[in-house]
Amino acid sequence: MASNWQTVWTERQADQGRRWAAPVTLEKATTWLVLLPVAFFFVYPLWKLLTLSVETETGLGWAHFSEVLADARTWDAVSHTIVAAGASTAIAVLLGVTLAWLCAYTDLRGKGAIHLLALLPLLIPSYVMTLAWTQMAGPQGVWNRAASWLAGTPMEVWNVYGLDGIVVVMGLTHYPLVYMLTLSVLYRVPKELEWAARSSGARAGDVFRKVTLPLALPGIASGGLLAFISGLDNFGIPAFLGIPENISVLSTLIYEQVTGFGPSAFSRAAVLSILLGVIALAGTGLQWLLLRKSRVDQTSAADKSVRVPLGGRRWAVEAAVWLFLVVTSVLPLLSMAQTAFLQAYGLPFVWDNVTGKHFAFVLFDHASTRAAIVNSLMLAGLSGLVCLVAGTWFAQWRLQRPSLAAKAMEGAVSLPYALPGMVLGLAMILTWIQPLPGWQPGLYGTVWLILIAYVVRFFILQVKSSTVSIMQVGREVEEAAKINGARSWTRWRRILLPLYAPGMLTGLFLVFLTAFTELTISSLLWSSGSETIGVVIFSFEQAGSTTLSTALSTLIVAAILSALALGGWLKRYWQRRLEG
Amino acid sequence: MKLSAMRTWTMSLFAAVSVIGLAACGNQPAPAPKAESQTPAQASAAASTTSSAPKVEGTLSFYTSQPDTDAAALIEGFTKKYPDVKVELFRSGTEEVVSRLQAEAKAGQVKADVLLVADAPTFASLKKQDLLLPYSSPEAADIPAEWKDADGAYTGTKVMATVLAVNTSKVKTLPDSWKALTSPEAAGKAIMPSPLYSGAAAYNVGVMTRQADFGWDYIQGLKKNEMTVIKGNGAVLKSVAGGEKDYGMIVDYLVARAKAEGSPVEMVYPGEGVPVITEPIGILKASQHQEAAKAFVDFVLSEDGQKLAASLGYTPIRKGVAAPEGLKSIDQIKVMSADTGELEAAREADKKKFGEMMGGK
Repeated sequence: MASNWQTVWTERQADQGRRWAAPVTLEKATTWLVLLPVAFFFVYPLWKLLTLSVETETGLGWAHFSEVLADARTWDAVSHTIVAAGASTAIAVLLGVTLAWLCAYTDLRGKGAIHLLALLPLLIPSYVMTLAWTQMAGPQGVWNRAASWLAGTPMEVWNVYGLDGIVVVMGLTHYPLVYMLTLSVLYRVPKELEWAARSSGARAGDVFRKVTLPLALPGIASGGLLAFISGLDNFGIPAFLGIPENISVLSTLIYEQVTGFGPSAFSRAAVLSILLGVIALAGTGLQWLLLRKSRVDQTSAADKSVRVPLGGRRWAVEAAVWLFLVVTSVLPLLSMAQTAFLQAYGLPFVWDNVTGKHFAFVLFDHASTRAAIVNSLMLAGLSGLVCLVAGTWFAQWRLQRPSLAAKAMEGAVSLPYALPGMVLGLAMILTWIQPLPGWQPGLYGTVWLILIAYVVRFFILQVKSSTVSIMQVGREVEEAAKINGARSWTRWRRILLPLYAPGMLTGLFLVFLTAFTELTISSLLWSSGSETIGVVIFSFEQAGSTTLSTALSTLIVAAILSALALGGWLKRYWQRRLEG
Repeated sequence: MKLSAMRTWTMSLFAAVSVIGLAACGNQPAPAPKAESQTPAQASAAASTTSSAPKVEGTLSFYTSQPDTDAAALIEGFTKKYPDVKVELFRSGTEEVVSRLQAEAKAGQVKADVLLVADAPTFASLKKQDLLLPYSSPEAADIPAEWKDADGAYTGTKVMATVLAVNTSKVKTLPDSWKALTSPEAAGKAIMPSPLYSGAAAYNVGVMTRQADFGWDYIQGLKKNEMTVIKGNGAVLKSVAGGEKDYGMIVDYLVARAKAEGSPVEMVYPGEGVPVITEPIGILKASQHQEAAKAFVDFVLSEDGQKLAASLGYTPIRKGVAAPEGLKSIDQIKVMSADTGELEAAREADKKKFGEMMGGK
């Protein structure tokens, strides 16, 4: 049955075959311009680390491989890792796409607030998130106590410790990535296509499955990939929920190996990192397969009108969305804030025990907090800027060349995000003390090495976000501009940049936020004068001052949220002034 | 707030941030202020400790796992005495600090001059890798032989016992033995740090399993009693202070501090004795500033340095310096110990055995 809308669709699909004609020499030059930095900044540090995996006391050899691969714990960890990252991605995609669809298509109220709350899980440190969950769903948590009380006998409905808990908490932590990347794509799915499908007799479900979903796939698949590789690297959640049940994933096993300190500790960690890298690349490959079949160029402008009125179901849907957000975003934040206001950790939360002294201490008495805030703002801002420019350029370059080398390079830039922060930090030390024999750039021990590490680690966030936008803008646009004589800079400024902007800014936003609260890498690379917020929080935690670490985290989250809300308000005010 | 609004905002936030950031770059943190003029008393104090040695100056790179306020106080105390030495600090968890050091060693450029982290076996392993400089500090004379390396590669700086922490709102009668953890009252209600992730916890397991009346049977008993194992000491404190668990195996000063702040916790030094870690200090062989490094080690072990440690809430290791309130002093503590060399050699095997034993529900 070849109905109208399907014809339109196939025609658009055919467009993708068109290649961009460019002078060969220029193309070769740009390939090298991309290849060399990728090789130097992304591949070389990993290679440095990996050479350790074949270094034995007697020379080169596979001894570490055979040792690690023969250990049953390794394979347990591999299977736990695949299950945890895979299943949590499924949850993240389901939640992220549903929420994005509701926000983009329906007449749900309070979208601004929903959007803010949906971002919270990215801002709340994962140990806080996990702690809140253990209080809610631990063996002695609220749920199980309530259930026991109802049943009249001790019973356990669900216990958050264990692999299932890791999957759930990880999924809830990573769904904002899918949500962010899907939202802007959905706004740009052309209404006409959906209408065409509807008038040809497709039901709502079919329209979503056959039109909306394939067109939104670049966003969904990119977000899903980010959720997947974030799941591979995550250490906090499996460390908290897995260790008590003796469940290791690769990231915790690597940490355990690295801190085993023996001479072969790094080598075994390097072997495990290779395993992790293989899983990450398999994820990237899977995403590529998905996108290959469904890549559709679209040039629709963002359309934020209501497409699906919820009608009588609006109340029920709103209630469900808010319940979800309260449980996943508000409660963890409240539990964090509650701890911060307590006189001492463990006291009951009653008026006599409430104090603001921890906030005052971190803000006014603790010397390094202010320095850390300035450093983190600077690092997050600069990483965002570098990633914005370089990442968008990389995404554009990559999409124009479906060659194997380009695909490999995309895999290479995603690896640093999948590896545990500890491993990447160590690779940075190994590389940058002396990048080339005899050359010591003196970056080690300075804030600039942290900047390089951040850019290398978070680059993929920008690449994926920019890719989503670029894939949605048809080549026709650029070609039309070219035919009309627009020079390349004009093409960019007047036509492409405005169209790419939503995805580029999503990427900037993600890089900025994650870098701002980053913990592991900076705790390994900082030195006097270059402390970051993560370093300060980590120090408080390690000194057992949970009240102080939660106070600082609460302040950071509150500051970001109020900055975002204020920005939204200013923008609205400005628009009203312009219109009025 | 609409999404587009948020993006525009992000853009302006970003612009603002870059400006702040760039301003900050131009404003590199100034080096630690040098004392403008020495008072005669300070000058003579410095002269007396350095005796005939040349004036100590230069930059010292200090890697430690002490909490940052403690490290800062230590550096302040030291630079008061040696105003011409600038101390650069790197602090993180013992695991991160040692990993960074190992990475530097792999890259062939050890940047650290002085190292101060959790326990002796960690130092024994570094000594084995030939990374440490033998140095017998004159100040170490008053430190018991069992707390320092015979070749002077490292020396203990304080005494940190692992004790039994109890949540006082849940448990009314305080136990007096480690065996409380294997008793029916503690079934499912006890927690300890994992030796797989924490060096100090690995030390404790190593020591306990080498005691005649504990051994691996004790660990088996803990397993049977549903002992929960979690990543670190901080998490144990949270769990016990927060009331999720009733009993915890944990390093003493964390409990003393939490108790002083008002958390419902109490600590018990069990009658069988307690495993003790000593946060040793050592100088790296690759150090370019050995004079300053030696002066630093001397200061930490000196009476002043030990009093400083006590004032920060730790039990001093030097004889004759009083312990802070709430903690026992070194001659009051019954110590449970084992041979450092043996612990170092067996650490990996111990960890593996522990993992296998506690695993498999």
